[in-house]
Amino acid sequence: MAKISGLQREVLSLYRQCLRACRKKPADTRLNFYNHTRSEFHRNSSINKKDFGTIEYLIRSGRKKLETYEDPGIRNIANL
Amino acid sequence: MFRTTLPRLARHLVYSAPRYQAPIARPIARSSLFQSTRITPTSTAFQAARCYSASAGLSHEEVQGRIMDLLKNFDKVQDVSKLNGESHFHNDLGLDSLDTVEVVMAIEEEFSIEIPDKEADAIHSIKQAVDYILAQPDAH
Amino acid sequence: MATTRAFARLAARPTAVRPAVFTRSFASVTDTAARDPISKAGEAINPDPTRKVVPESKTSTTKEPAPDKDAKIKSFHIYRWNPDEPASKPKMQTYTLDLNKTGPMMLDALIRIKNEVDPTLTFRRSCREGICGSCAMNIDGVNTLACLCRIPTDTAKESRIYPLPHMYVVKDLVPDMTNFYKQYRSVKPYLQRTTPAPDGREYRQSKAERKKLDGLYECILCACCSTSCPSYWWNQEEYLGPAVLLQSYRWIADSRDEKTAERQDALNNSMSLYRCHTILNCSRTCPKGLNPALAIAEIKKSMAFT
Repeated sequence: MAKISGLQREVLSLYRQCLRACRKKPADTRLNFYNHTRSEFHRNSSINKKDFGTIEYLIRSGRKKLETYEDPGIRNIANL
Repeated sequence: MFRTTLPRLARHLVYSAPRYQAPIARPIARSSLFQSTRITPTSTAFQAARCYSASAGLSHEEVQGRIMDLLKNFDKVQDVSKLNGESHFHNDLGLDSLDTVEVVMAIEEEFSIEIPDKEADAIHSIKQAVDYILAQPDAH
Repeated sequence: MATTRAFARLAARPTAVRPAVFTRSFASVTDTAARDPISKAGEAINPDPTRKVVPESKTSTTKEPAPDKDAKIKSFHIYRWNPDEPASKPKMQTYTLDLNKTGPMMLDALIRIKNEVDPTLTFRRSCREGICGSCAMNIDGVNTLACLCRIPTDTAKESRIYPLPHMYVVKDLVPDMTNFYKQYRSVKPYLQRTTPAPDGREYRQSKAERKKLDGLYECILCACCSTSCPSYWWNQEEYLGPAVLLQSYRWIADSRDEKTAERQDALNNSMSLYRCHTILNCSRTCPKGLNPALAIAEIKKSMAFT
């Protein structure tokens, strides 16, 4: 695999944070959170790695979303 | 993880019973990332026996077996025949960097440890993963 | 078709009451026929296939208003960016409006565009009278409230509307204010005191003490000043910016507050306060006519003499 850039490392780190947050969700809905996280990240995986503006925007909005969904009050998520 | 949650008796069961018993003995350790049902190989049963005696750590074959097992059930692995102790996640198994993160996270759960980002980024193959786990005294 | 249906519904009402939006007229609206929308693009987007359409023979016909001979057509270039297509570049879109049919303020133009031309145009607005601070944006190069900004009647000049500068954009003219509000929160913008009032009732203030808060309490936190400050552009994470510092001073100056020293201590570092280099863009741009730069200078002064 080619050496990954700092921005890519940030994406992977966010992905890891999201997956860790999924583990804290109730066992019966955890899979919904996992599937949501996976599909959100894979959906945008084809973006050109030089498209910094877009990737930075997505990281920013992803962090925000993580902050929202991390709340233990959020117990389930719909996969559309 | 399961060691604390299950009575020791269960391990005797695993040890003596046929292998299909094993998943019952370790239900909590199941990574919910990989949804498909898995058959725990013999190595796990051996491990259960070893834990019982002393904290001798994990053997190379056992760690490798458990990691290979995880990967066998990972839906993104296209060619299971290429799976061996030397497989590279990207070059051999066709996983992208996101999939690799998922695999490493699943390994974390499997061995009940937390791998820091920096070290997780360096794991690209089964061999590296096995070596990393073997170097962790907390892994079990 | 959708248009005729809407009008048929209107006509079917027992009393022919027009919705308030159609009857309201603005000082500058000279053309009373301006009630007719330019187009109903919004309704045409999603025709409901299950609903039977009233044939045109059974409804009244709404004619496209003929362009007036003395129409005052002005162009508005508006910044557009859609987060649903994150890889697409932001673009400027041009809309033309007849000023005779538009209210006097920039916000009227934006609302008219959204209502009648392009419902996808996104911006914040609420009170339309300069008290909520929602519609802060950069109009013709100046940060201001769209509802307090008159449309220049010179139709030869085109107006350009951007979101507040150097802010992350949520969509079109909507900036992300998360950091701004976080900073506001960090100055603890509420009364802090431990001793009860002597008579067990309100915390009293003399007229002179109350007077110190004039010019501070009027701030509506629209962020026009902060986003016009070059120092804030470059150090948004650490420098609090004029709006938040003005608020901080509002509580430092309050005679009833007992945590003045703590408030000053919190600002006593190289970044929070002292990134103000008296550029004075803040005081120049404030749509409420306040003077954040003076408030910052007062904080600096109060800290220098304690």
